[in-house]
Amino acid sequence: MTDGDLDASGSTMSDSDLDATDPRTLPGFFDALADGELLGGVCVDCGQVLLPPRPACYACGSRAVDVEPQSPEGQIFSYTEVHTPPPAFAADAPYTVAVVELADGGRLLGRVTADYADVTIGDAVELTVREPTATEREVALDYESDWPVHVFEPR
Amino acid sequence: MPEPVIASVGASTLGRTDLPGRDLFSVALAEAFDELPDPADIVEAVYVGNQSETYEHQIMQGTLLAEWAGLRHVPAERVEGCAAAGALALRHAVKDVRNGEHEAVLACGVEKMTSAGTSGATDALSAAFDRAIEQRSGITAPSQYALLAQRYLHETDATERDLAEIAVKNHGNAARNPRAQFPKEIDVATVLESDPVAPPLKLYDCAPVGDGAAAVLVTTAEMAADLDQPQVRVAGSGASANNIAVAERDMTDIAGARIAAETAYEEAGIDAEAVDIAEVHDAFTVCEALLAEAAGFAPTGTGYQSYQPPAERADGWTDVQLSPSGGLKARGHPIGATGLLQALEAYEQLTGAAGDRAVEDAETALLLNEGGVADAVTVGHVLTTAEAQ
Repeated sequence: MTDGDLDASGSTMSDSDLDATDPRTLPGFFDALADGELLGGVCVDCGQVLLPPRPACYACGSRAVDVEPQSPEGQIFSYTEVHTPPPAFAADAPYTVAVVELADGGRLLGRVTADYADVTIGDAVELTVREPTATEREVALDYESDWPVHVFEPR
Repeated sequence: MPEPVIASVGASTLGRTDLPGRDLFSVALAEAFDELPDPADIVEAVYVGNQSETYEHQIMQGTLLAEWAGLRHVPAERVEGCAAAGALALRHAVKDVRNGEHEAVLACGVEKMTSAGTSGATDALSAAFDRAIEQRSGITAPSQYALLAQRYLHETDATERDLAEIAVKNHGNAARNPRAQFPKEIDVATVLESDPVAPPLKLYDCAPVGDGAAAVLVTTAEMAADLDQPQVRVAGSGASANNIAVAERDMTDIAGARIAAETAYEEAGIDAEAVDIAEVHDAFTVCEALLAEAAGFAPTGTGYQSYQPPAERADGWTDVQLSPSGGLKARGHPIGATGLLQALEAYEQLTGAAGDRAVEDAETALLLNEGGVADAVTVGHVLTTAEAQ
């Protein structure tokens, strides 16, 4: 693949000091989310929004990724209702899940606090954040146990 | 470079069985080597497609199955890519033969999905989705594909009835396949009236949970001839990963599958119109529609017509026949074995061993095997008869 013209002069990698306070890591992202702030990565080179933020842009490969607050408002892009849940969520079923297109361009999957029959593509929703339930903490990995859970509410 | 060929295939019973994974493998291997020397006499490496260690609390499947095949001191490893693991194993075998590293490689797949009931399978499969966002939202395999289906029905003229017709067509094919988990015809009402799983998908839109194993011997044309085996050329192989989260992908242009298919076509020196039969990853009915478009068989928005006879499909459709085996839907979908079951079907079709379900004059087959939801990873292979060029 290499034809001799690869060099590192265009590299923007500077992730060797990534730690759990950096919103390009999951702990950093969820810490901000717990405070009510949805952070997205935004590619400096192509503008792609990355939810959650990460060190590299999947759309163009750039590692120049800024982290910016994202609007919690969006629209239902697609949706369904889970009738056969994983065991950990059995008590919640059936529940509505959707892919939401946010106002700043990113797309995120999450639960919707509305009955399936009351949802349709294009509906306006808003991302809200809650603490994990006791059941959710029970099935969480050690490092996830305090991570908040995001849900979409109809607007 | 040597051209890899498939020289033999075998499979276990598919569905609910009383055999553990390694024993299912032994059954598949015994069929594949029925008329061959022992594996220890010819096999130089082993790849095992296997979705999850949770079903049997067992990793090291490469070591285990090599041993159960009577092989020792050969390279052997498990290949992981959820439901694409089987085709990834095949691809590794193909590359080893193509680059001259090995002359005969065993690509196999196994899954013991029924070990912990439907909830165990639901849980194991959910591990294929992004942990941070998707799993914590309670998403499942059917609900992921339902998100695609909802979007597909929104963007195209397809109806839930069209998706049901795909299931009916594939059950009809399986009724002529003695290997099928569900070898029985069904009608549209059965699908439409079945229980909701994740609307718009219903029970009969979904491939079943089941056990199974498959084994495929990949070797050179010369060695296949020496073994006096019918052979099928592996003319092209492509693979493509896409985002793990479905929300960040195009949900109706299945780009990873398109790229995997196009890569395989390019290697084979053909285009989509040359394909006579295709085994695509119809884990849910909507997949067959989406993959017909991604593979270049159908114009955008018309893939759902896959159940119709070629003459009745929209302009721009090819004459390809999809899922002659009955597909994942009715042939069965023991996750890690599925990609190899697709290869098995193509081998039987292209060597005149497909019995009542033979597609007349079939010379070229496309296989598309996906892992995760849709094209999180896709593997494409083009198989042709030894005569086709």
